[in-house]
Amino acid sequence: MPLIYTIILGLVFYLAKPIKWIQRKQARIAEGAMMLFIGVLIAKLAVSSGQSISLIFKMGPALILQELGHLATILVLPIALLLGFKKEAIGMTNSIGREPNVAVVVDKYGFNSAESRGVFAIFIIGTVIGTIFISFLVTFSLSFLPLHPYAFAMASGVGSASMNAAAIGPTLAAFPGLETQIEAFAGFSNLLSFCVGIYIVIFVALPLTEKIYDWLEPKIGREALVPETEDE
Amino acid sequence: MPDLIDGSENVSVHGIFNWILLLIIFSIITVIGNYLGYKHPMTDSLIGMGILSLITLIGVWLERELPFNISSILYISVIGILIAFPGMPTSEFVLYYVSHVELLSIVTVFLAYVGIGMGKSWDEFKALGWRAVVITILVIAATYYGAAIVAHIVLVLTGVPAV
Repeated sequence: MPLIYTIILGLVFYLAKPIKWIQRKQARIAEGAMMLFIGVLIAKLAVSSGQSISLIFKMGPALILQELGHLATILVLPIALLLGFKKEAIGMTNSIGREPNVAVVVDKYGFNSAESRGVFAIFIIGTVIGTIFISFLVTFSLSFLPLHPYAFAMASGVGSASMNAAAIGPTLAAFPGLETQIEAFAGFSNLLSFCVGIYIVIFVALPLTEKIYDWLEPKIGREALVPETEDE
Repeated sequence: MPDLIDGSENVSVHGIFNWILLLIIFSIITVIGNYLGYKHPMTDSLIGMGILSLITLIGVWLERELPFNISSILYISVIGILIAFPGMPTSEFVLYYVSHVELLSIVTVFLAYVGIGMGKSWDEFKALGWRAVVITILVIAATYYGAAIVAHIVLVLTGVPAV
């Protein structure tokens, strides 16, 4: 898996102290440059989408409805409560916690709220392990789940360009001959996650997470763990 | 290297030149990977990367220049979809050259940068407890499976044959 090797090499080069020429400043440049390279990636996916636009319209219902599938993150809320999280759990489990979601949560609860602490935690951890984890997850799922190839393609549009990229790789490799369709669906679904997904979070996911929290917290909420509050 | 990116907060000529420089470097690395890994002719994939870089540049520039609070990702997507739209005069040209750029070559180079960027968040990452890591992993898995299963059910119900 060349994809995972490159991520790990990049990380190791940064963290390895003897390698002096990739330092914090270079990392900051790499981060800024990433924004630009995301553009190239998105452009390639968009060209595939444009090419297959009639197919995308034909698959419209599946593409739109799978955005609602992202609500499944709320299923993690009880586990977060059992692990001792309080209001942080609302920020943690309402969505995948990427840039647009962080913006929504901070906007609604304020920068210093417990909810924002939760979404920041998911954001940082997602940045560090998300790409590697999702490529393992996808590789594993492709061999064990008998789902439609298009379903795998659509699911890879989780609303994060790097996770999208990491999820497409193994999917393309698993279905040779369907490259254009998979790229089209993956790209379009990621685009939907960015522009439609955010409204699903604002109007459905967050209110629903709050309701379930109010209902579940008195039942299964734990004492807030001391080390946990220290951590955050 | 000077602060390549910091000048990009507002569109100065300086900033645009840096973007172009970065895109050229990125294109060359991708084209080499594209040639070594997939044996695509270098000139064709170089033109393909040129097209993709140009779309990116326009998208990023529009984000800075237009007063709306819209991410460059949306501009880039719309431009990309439009120029490849069947029937557009540009579509044949664009599709020919862009098809010579393998997505995986772009992704591989891109993820190396993700790796370096990840290193920056390392200290903050270490400060968070294992419980938060467990929740993150479950949240990502839930998003992925939620979407995949809903998509699969709808595809089956609407009778899309498993190709």
